[in-house]
Amino acid sequence: MREQHTKQGKLYLQRYWPLYAMMALPLAYFIVFKYLPMFGNVLAFRRYRPGMGPWGTEWVGLRYFQRFFQDPAFWSAFRNTLFLSLLNLVINFPIPIAFAILLNEVRNLHYKKLVQTVSYMPRFVSTVVVIAIISDLLSPSTGVLNHFFADLSGKDPVYYMNEPGYFRRIYVLLDTWQYTGWTAIIYLAAITAIPQELYEAATIDGAGHWQQIWYVTIPEILPTIMIMLIMNVGRLLSLGFEKVLLMYTPANSGVSDILDTLVYRTGLANQNYSYATAMGLFTGVIGIMLVASSNALSRKLTGDSIY
Amino acid sequence: MKTYKTRSTVAYYLFIDILMGIVLVMCLTPFLYIIATSLSSPEAIINGKVFIIPRGLNTQAYRQIFSYPNFFHAYGNTIFYTVFGTMIALCMTTLFAYPLSKTWLKGNKLVMKLVIFSMFFSGGLIPNYLLISSLHLTNTRWAILLPFCINQFNLILLINFFKSIPSDIEEAAIIDGLGYGGILLRIVLPLSGAGLATIALYTAVFFWNDWFNSLIYLKSTQFPVMLFLRNIVNGTTMLGGEGGSADKGALSLSIKSAVILVSTLPIIMIYPFVQRFFVKGVMVGSVKG
Amino acid sequence: MKKTMLVLLLCVALVGISAQGTKETVATTPSAAAGPVKLSLFYSDNATLPFKNDWLTVKEAEKLAGTQVEWEIIPIADYQTKVSLALNTGANAPDVILYQSITGENASLALNGAIVPISDYSAWTPNFNARVKEFGLEDTVAKLALSDGKRYNLPSLFDVPFYDGGIIIRADLLAKYGLKAPKTFDEFYDVLKTFKKNNPDSYPLTILAGPRVLYRFTMPCFGISLGRNASSGSYVLSWDYTKKQYFAGAISDQYKAYITYFHKLFAEGLLDPEMADPIDGTKWSQKMATGKAMATWAYYDQIGGVTAASTIPGFKLQMYPSLAGPAGAHNQPKAKTGAGIVFPAKTAKRADFEQVVRAIDKMFYSEESAKLWCLGVEGQTYTMKDGKVQFTDKYMKDPRGIYKALQQDFGCGSDVTQMVWVNKREMTKYDENYAAINAEVEKMGNVIQELPPRPKFNDVDAETAGSYQTPLADAWERWNNAFLTGAKSIDADWDAYVAEMKKLGIEKMLELYNKNR
Repeated sequence: MREQHTKQGKLYLQRYWPLYAMMALPLAYFIVFKYLPMFGNVLAFRRYRPGMGPWGTEWVGLRYFQRFFQDPAFWSAFRNTLFLSLLNLVINFPIPIAFAILLNEVRNLHYKKLVQTVSYMPRFVSTVVVIAIISDLLSPSTGVLNHFFADLSGKDPVYYMNEPGYFRRIYVLLDTWQYTGWTAIIYLAAITAIPQELYEAATIDGAGHWQQIWYVTIPEILPTIMIMLIMNVGRLLSLGFEKVLLMYTPANSGVSDILDTLVYRTGLANQNYSYATAMGLFTGVIGIMLVASSNALSRKLTGDSIY
Repeated sequence: MKTYKTRSTVAYYLFIDILMGIVLVMCLTPFLYIIATSLSSPEAIINGKVFIIPRGLNTQAYRQIFSYPNFFHAYGNTIFYTVFGTMIALCMTTLFAYPLSKTWLKGNKLVMKLVIFSMFFSGGLIPNYLLISSLHLTNTRWAILLPFCINQFNLILLINFFKSIPSDIEEAAIIDGLGYGGILLRIVLPLSGAGLATIALYTAVFFWNDWFNSLIYLKSTQFPVMLFLRNIVNGTTMLGGEGGSADKGALSLSIKSAVILVSTLPIIMIYPFVQRFFVKGVMVGSVKG
Repeated sequence: MKKTMLVLLLCVALVGISAQGTKETVATTPSAAAGPVKLSLFYSDNATLPFKNDWLTVKEAEKLAGTQVEWEIIPIADYQTKVSLALNTGANAPDVILYQSITGENASLALNGAIVPISDYSAWTPNFNARVKEFGLEDTVAKLALSDGKRYNLPSLFDVPFYDGGIIIRADLLAKYGLKAPKTFDEFYDVLKTFKKNNPDSYPLTILAGPRVLYRFTMPCFGISLGRNASSGSYVLSWDYTKKQYFAGAISDQYKAYITYFHKLFAEGLLDPEMADPIDGTKWSQKMATGKAMATWAYYDQIGGVTAASTIPGFKLQMYPSLAGPAGAHNQPKAKTGAGIVFPAKTAKRADFEQVVRAIDKMFYSEESAKLWCLGVEGQTYTMKDGKVQFTDKYMKDPRGIYKALQQDFGCGSDVTQMVWVNKREMTKYDENYAAINAEVEKMGNVIQELPPRPKFNDVDAETAGSYQTPLADAWERWNNAFLTGAKSIDADWDAYVAEMKKLGIEKMLELYNKNR
């Protein structure tokens, strides 16, 4: 029997006031700590002069926006960011899901816990060290991995870290190594919420292992998957800045310069906060558009959405 | 009912075990390398003799780290921020997520849009700094504990977890006369072990790893151990400008490795304790009919 | 179980926090009448010499100047961020900030009133004035003034810059192959060729940290200075020492000659191809110690560590005087003034501002404090024997080297706190070999040139200059790398390169710089 939710009027408040009371404090938090500082975005339209106050001195309108729209380096960075992000999404979105599902199937509890713990350890190796290790392994003179590949292909050692052609591959694979175990935790949590009876029913119906995964596990965690997908699409333009910065060399700059590193060099390195804020506004707008459209799409296709 | 071990079953589980074994090796090896270098002598490292077994075993790196002034103090700071930050965050996030998981509630859509909007637009460094400063939170520990207590990503995840709890259970409780507060505390939370554990873990790691916010908002006596780690491992790698004599200021790899291990081992070791919440199907059979 | 874990963690946290908590509050009780001057200060902490509250130099300096200092220890990698934030917002700025030069953003901040123009208060800095006079640096210091004619920091002072880093070669291999120490770049080329012939698997010349270090050391010999560590700070413009003006170094013939030479080295396998990636200290040590590389440009006090780690019998590294290129024999340029002390604007509003300035002046520039920050305390760290400085036996034999040992144990000789550098006094901390090399270099004359003056921009011009600089810098990096590795031909593609740089505005940038010098 579905309960009828009271539609409106005084009865509504009387009934549901505890829920609103719960929201009060967090909502205040949001307004103070997230919304008040947003006024600072006005800096994108005013000229910032060091030491003369954070709200800028004079109104310059769209000048900074014009500057980066006309800058070919900006568009190149924009393209690089999109390509790298999309590649990362296509490869590194499904992998943690698959990993979580398969890990869940492991029968020996101790082995399962061991793999779970070890798989999330790479997340904690700081980026500087990761890049140092991979540079070492792929070094054309002494790198173990490099010689391994060279022997396989019969060609000379390639200077991978310097070749633009390999930059994206290395970046994405490093992300896979670092974040698979970490991201899989969310899916593992979702999987544990699946009632056991569904699997028992499926077994009775004669479903094999792969079929059970396809017909029970995946549909049950679909809401979680869709939400993760929407949020990842929304963050398409914000990539890991530190990793890219460390992998940047003049030779691969054509593909390795992304929006965040460009902002770092032009905006922040020159203390041009206005420029940096303007770019931030631009990427924010695009992000919102991406979330809104993927949210609507998800609602249409699967019925799940964030809002 | 007896489950028959067919060949396909054996092959299936073998395949999975092998796959997980590969994952194990690939994730563990770099750590073994770091452990090995932290326990090796600098000479062995420079001569390229160290892979996953320490050579020239010595604990000099560890002794040097523990003798750094303020190391333990910074460590205490990190634990403080992690524990209290996570507790505050869990409370606030839960308080917010529960009402927001009721999609039929008036105002729900508006608030969700507010939350999402704030994910894409922030004020930037200076306005945030000024806000914290004008609230007189700078140079106090609250500057770390308060401003980051609700992460929108975690919030949305928790909302999703709450939504997956079947409504029959709650409705039964309402009929029994329980208020929403009681439902949250006595029914929803106990059933959300996995979701809460995930968020607690993510939040704890966030606070454990944070260095930037501590750098700008705190006094040096309140700095966490991650800033210390950064100083040693990054050193001058990312310095632009004049570099100069700072270029030669590189510490040996064994010290860097030791610092990494000492700073990250505790948070890594939290996971096994969290895993107990990832237990299957606690709610089966709680509602009959 | 959960609860006990939490309680345990909390206990650890509380213990940790309280540990050394008491050391933070300085113990000295203020004396009756004047009392110590209390001030807060930002200090940039380098992990190789971590700051210690109980450093001898710190305690003695505070006593000397009658101050009670709250030291804010900030890691060097993030130091500028914190300083920039404090000065830009004016919130939570300390009373004094160490290790700052008035360039880039600091110049704009100063002109817009965020920093105290300390030259207005020179009556309160008698010690500083005395040292300037002693070193004959009145003109140099006067040139530090910005476009409004005022100077905004108390810089560190060097009487004679010393040759602390340069070309380092395997002396034992030179002897083995019967080679003399090279004096010019062409001779160096022959030396490298011989090395390579005898060790075909090696890359004889390698670099520390990144190509920018190589450029900084060697470009002045060709008359230019470009790149991230360019002495002009502009990346693509260089200073003409004879004509005393800027020129477009990036598109000059001198640069063409430079890159041709190094391309030759690269093409013949004499230059380490991995130089595009930053080569961190450990990898560099590895290459040198195992003999994979035989020559490099680096710093003298790094030699000890590499030699100690090497297992090659007879391994010997020696630093040689600079090689002579087309523009003479030069090394990385050094200023006789360096980063120094800055007072944020709000400090001037203190009622006891005069005391603060006088105290800082005494703490860092007086005769006694200069000796303290360099050598330590007489009787404790050193003794005077026949007018010469003699360090205690323990430190003479210290494997870290006297210089490093004094740095780590007492805080002597740190870039951040030592403001007065007297060459003869510094030499006592190095071995005789170093003194000999420095003497030879000094004889060569004008090896270490002065840093070019920074243009006196107002912040509008500074923003314009910045907006030219980034695309020019990016373009130069790409082309430089292409020329070096041979991806683009110096002969065939040079004109296209010059055309691109001109299109990006290098000439306009040059005009802006020369107008404001």
